[in-house]
Formats: sequence, structure tokens, C-alpha cells
Amino acid sequence: MKTYVPNENGSAIICAMGTILIISIIGANVLMNCTTRYNVTSKQVSAWRNALAAAEAGADIAYAETRKTFANPAMQFTGTGWSSPNSSTGPWSYTMPTPIGGSGNLLATATVDNFTTVDGYRCYRIRSIGTARVSGLRRTGMDDTPARVGASFGLTGARGGGDSLVRKIDFNFDHFIATYGDGDGNNKHVVNVPSDANGQPIAQVARRVELIAVPIVLPSSGAITTSGSFYGPGSAGVIDSFNSTNGPYNPNVAKGGNPLPQFYSDSRDGNVICGSSSFTSLTGEIYGNVTTDGATLRTTRYIYGTVDNNVPVVVDPQPAVTPPPSRSYEASSPATITPPLNNPKSGGNSPDSWANAPWYLYSNVQDVTINPVTVNSTPRETYVNIVVNGDINTNLTINKGVNVRFYFAGNVNIKVSNFSNGNVDGSALLNIDGTTSTNHSASAHVQFYGVSPTAPGATQTVNLDANGKPTIEALWIVPGADFVSKGNIMMYGAVVCKSFYENGDCNFHYDKALANMMPPKDYRIASYVEDIR
Amino acid sequence: MKLIKHQNRQGFTLVELMVSVGLGSIILGVIITASISLNRSFSAVDKFFSTHVQQVRILDYLNRDVKRSNIAEISADAQTISCWVPKYVIQPGDSDATADNINTRRTPTITKKGSGYQVDYYPSTSSNGPGGTSTNNSAVVYSISGQSILRTEDGVVTTVASSTDQLVDQVTDINLANSGYLSTVVSFLPVFTSNGANMERASTTVYSTAYLRNLRRGN
Repeated sequence: MKTYVPNENGSAIICAMGTILIISIIGANVLMNCTTRYNVTSKQVSAWRNALAAAEAGADIAYAETRKTFANPAMQFTGTGWSSPNSSTGPWSYTMPTPIGGSGNLLATATVDNFTTVDGYRCYRIRSIGTARVSGLRRTGMDDTPARVGASFGLTGARGGGDSLVRKIDFNFDHFIATYGDGDGNNKHVVNVPSDANGQPIAQVARRVELIAVPIVLPSSGAITTSGSFYGPGSAGVIDSFNSTNGPYNPNVAKGGNPLPQFYSDSRDGNVICGSSSFTSLTGEIYGNVTTDGATLRTTRYIYGTVDNNVPVVVDPQPAVTPPPSRSYEASSPATITPPLNNPKSGGNSPDSWANAPWYLYSNVQDVTINPVTVNSTPRETYVNIVVNGDINTNLTINKGVNVRFYFAGNVNIKVSNFSNGNVDGSALLNIDGTTSTNHSASAHVQFYGVSPTAPGATQTVNLDANGKPTIEALWIVPGADFVSKGNIMMYGAVVCKSFYENGDCNFHYDKALANMMPPKDYRIASYVEDIR
Repeated sequence: MKLIKHQNRQGFTLVELMVSVGLGSIILGVIITASISLNRSFSAVDKFFSTHVQQVRILDYLNRDVKRSNIAEISADAQTISCWVPKYVIQPGDSDATADNINTRRTPTITKKGSGYQVDYYPSTSSNGPGGTSTNNSAVVYSISGQSILRTEDGVVTTVASSTDQLVDQVTDINLANSGYLSTVVSFLPVFTSNGANMERASTTVYSTAYLRNLRRGN
């Protein structure tokens, strides 16, 4: 008998596998979409940001070269990667010899030119281009404005769909050179982006920055600069800053508030630059940055700025100063100085500038009063140079309008209550020729230069002793001196010294306007712009 | 022997059919439900991701403009940021624009000010500065309008972020903590429909800090 056996094989496993397959396809599709978007966006965003880092790296390298203008001009623009058609006048070009970045995908090129000269000093324009390769998938559209716009957009006239690209990615051609050429419309042409080994173009992002480096006209960028130790401020003391160009010092500005007080930013540059590991900060506030050369700070609680303990400091010695060859000292060393209006020792010129200032020579200075030139019984800006072979002691009276520079070889002992500076922060007098002075700084009117001792082991001291709570406004360039301030002194100005010590509730207010008063020794970045085209 | 034609008369019983149909329906329902859930999930992730992209875009815009600003300020309600950036490129309508120099870079001038040399690109001024003061910069203002964030540069408005179907952008805090830098917080609140009502949920918050490279405040 032949029997038929029914086929009882089911298709359950096929159904199950089909179901798994369908779900897997859907899941994979989701994952692929997400991964693709993430991949594209993260890498494009990353490349866009890294390109700026590369551009700034190139600019920093160029800036480092501009800083050699005073310190090491023979080696300026001579390092690896630099070239120039004229090494003395520029422009100077830099190409990074090897890529940088974690995956070696960043490059920078920079150009430096001396585009203008101000007060006899070069100002440098640094143009840097940072380029980052964009890895991953070549996709566009992730950084554009939203494609979908709502009702409010129509009202505001907002645009979408490509007008507002913040991240411009070159997938095949350099859009900037094609559109703007060298940046000024010259030499526009199509340039392909680099290709890989297979001839496929490598997408890239290029960002361009332009920096202007100008001379710093103060020998220090800090309120207090020492080559040696620092001690202070006391529990009730404070170190902060202000700018006398904007008016007199206001103790409330540094405290901030909401909204921030006007000129708030000027109050936070009370920088202390200590070129030693011996840095003792007490419980007084420092509204500025602190740098030391290897110190370990007990606390940074009272420092309202950044702290860097790995900064070597070089303080140049102050050389002896004498009148220039065409000039000579005045005949006498009077107790009261009133410069002549028409001084035969300066070619008949009035003392209307440092160049025309009379020169006085003293063995020691004590109980000296200095008066300005007056016109119609009103004081005018008057300039005086005083060379002191010995010490400076109070009493000292510098009347309103007087600008005086002391070049001293000995020590300074000032009882601050017997020191008078008649100039007022924030106000400006007339110059002798009737024009309005731009000097609003009381401390800029009184400048002390301590001639650095040359004998081995020789010391120089500057001692300020309070009596009550007197104020003293002065600029102190005393690189060879131990600077000691005792008592509740209110100091305005800036100090460059060998060591600095202050106790009590001594307050120090750095006047940023001093930045204009000294010959430059360094450069700073005064402007930063990005070419966002 | 007579051959017997053995017909296959086997079939499914009603019970079998009902069981198989029931099981099949359940499996199909699970598949459909899973697909719909996956689709919704994908849609949510897509929108979530898109909004995150917008958050990043806002911050990239802000960082770029703040970095190159001479001055940056925020409004008292911390919902508006104003930046004044140097006018680096000559644009039509500028006082120094000619037929030949449009879209070229300016050479700056340098003058001595209270705290040193100051660099200026644009020779003319307008009353677009803080509090209506006079500046020679372009004014770039970030503001919130409805569910979008607008960037306005010299009157030209660009939308740098907007809501999507279920996501709401919200700048919760923009704080000028120090004149030297600008801290920004951008949050968004996705809106989900639950039982016929919209419900907001706190979602991602992106923080960013940008430093001004040009410090000209108070000068």
C-alpha cells in the first residue's frame, strides 16, 4: 500500500529570520543615518575649529618673531620656514614645515609686513591662514541655517538655505581664492584642494586671521615687576589697576557688580610679575594675573586673575643717564627749581618736552621743590631732568604741571607724608604752547630711575614710610633696588625692581596710562580680526 | 488488487486556523509596532540631533563674533548679546567705498590712546555703539525671537537657529562674567505630546566660553 505522508515542515524559521532581517534593516538604517550625520557634523565642526587653532598657531609664531625687534633683531624672521624677498624690510613669509595636530591634519602659513611706523617704531601686520583637512564623508548642508523657517522668519526677513554658512568647507576648490584672490580681489583663480593618493580631493577648511602687533611703551606689562622676591599685600591691602585717562581711581570699580561698572576691565590689570620662586602672598586681594618663576603659592584665593608659576623674568638694568652731547647741566642745584621759559642751554627752547627739559645735577636731593612754568599765572606742562649721584630724601614737593625724571645712583628714603605730587589723575593741563596735554596721569609726572649698581654685592634700596595714610603717585624703574613700602600707603603708578616688600594695608593701584610714557621694549597684539568671507 | 486513490483530505480545523491567524496577527502587530516605534525613535533622534546641531551652530557663531569683537555686552535679561566687531572688509555703502575697492581689506590706522596704541579699521563712526555711543565698528546683535535665535549685523538679519517640530531652543543664560570673556549657555526643551497635551522636557544644555581677543572696553 502506498501512502502519502503529509508535508508537515513549517516555515516558522523562515518567518522568524525574515522578521529579524526586516527589523535589522530598519535598525541599521537608523544607525547609518545617525552615524552619517554624526560623522559628518562632528568632523566638519572639529575641522572648522581646528583650522582657527592652526591659524592662531601661525600667528603666534609670527608674533614671536616681531618680539625680536628689540631683543634679538639679528635673528628676526630667520628660523625654519621663514623667507622674504627683502630680509630687512619684508614682507616676511612663513610656512609651517610639518603639519601639526593630533592626526597631522593642520597647517599654517603666515605673512608679516611692516605696514606702518608710529613714533619711529614698526607696527607689524600678521596675516595667518590655518588649514584643516576634513576627514570623513563628503557631505554638505549640516551647518546651514534651518531649511524650515517659521512665521517669525518671514516677519524679520531672515534667510535660510545657504546665505548664512558659518563653516565654509572647500570640497573641491578653494572658494576664497576663487572669489577674493589674495583677499583684495587680486589674482582670482580656481585652485583645487589637495588630493589623496587615489586622486580624490581632500575636503578642507581654511580660516584667516589678521593681527596687528604694536610696541609696548612700558618696560613692564605689570603693576609690580621684580627680578627677585615679592611679599604682599597685607590683609587690608589691594593691588589693582585703573586708567587715569578715564579719570581718577575709583575703589569700587574692581569690586564689579551687575551691571559691571564702567571701566571695569581697567581695574583687573594689577598684574604681579615675580621673577623668583620667593613669592609670598598674604590675604590682600590682587586684581590681576600673577606669574612667578617656580614659586608654590600658599593660596590663590585672593588672586582674581590667572596664576602661572613657570615664567622666567628678565629685568634689564637701568644704565646711568647724562645729558645728551648737545646739552649740559644747569649752573646750580637749587632748593627750588623753576625752569626758565626760554632756556639758553636748550637752544632757547622752553621746557615743553623731555627733549627740551633742563638738566640739573645734585649730589643728594633733599628738601627740594619743583615749580612749573606758568603762563598767565596758570601752570603749564613743564619737563625737568634731575641726575642725583647720591640719595633722594624727603621733603619733595612736585607742584602741579611738573614732569620730572630722577636718575639716582644711591638710595631713596621717602616719608610719604612729606612727599607731594600736585598733579591729579584724570585731569590734563595745557602745554606751554597752549595745546591740551594728553598726559592725565599723576604718576607719569614723577618718574624715578634707579641706576643699577655695578659693583659686585652692591645694594640699592627704596624705602617708603607712611605717616597716616598718605598717597604717593610715581613711576619706579629701579631694577637694582630692594623696594620696601611700610605702613598704610596708597601708591599709584608702577614698580620695576629687584625685590618688592609691602606690609600693613598698603594699596597699590597700577595706572595703565603709563603704557604710553616709556620707550618700548616689546610688542603686543593690539588687534585681532578674522576674515570670515 | 485494486488500486485505491488515496486523496489528501487533510485540512486545517477551525481551531487551527484561528490559532494560526491569531498568532500571525500578534507577530504582525509586533512587527508593525516595532517598526512604528523605530520610526518614531529615528524621527526623535533626527530632530534631537538637528537641534543639537543648531546649538553647536549658535555657539560657533557666537564664539567667532565674540573673539573678534572690540566690545561685547549682554542685556540685563541676559537674552541679547551685542558685539561690536571691526569693519575689516570694505562694503558697499561704507564711507570709504569706491567702485574699485569693494570687498577688499582695509589697512588699519594706529593712534596713541590712554592705554597704548589703538588699532582702527574704519575711518567713520556711527551711533551704533553701547547705549547709542559712537563707534566705528559693525554692530552684531544676537537676540531671541519666538523660538528662533537671530543674528543681526548692521541691520541684516540671519536666523542661526530655529525650532523644529518638537524642539524649542532656549537661551537660558548669557552671562558676561568678565569683560575679557563671554560665557554662554544654550538649552533646548523638546516638546512631546502626551495624552493630547504638549509636555516639555529638559534636554541638552551646551556651555561655551569665548575670549575677546581685542580688549577695548573702557578705553
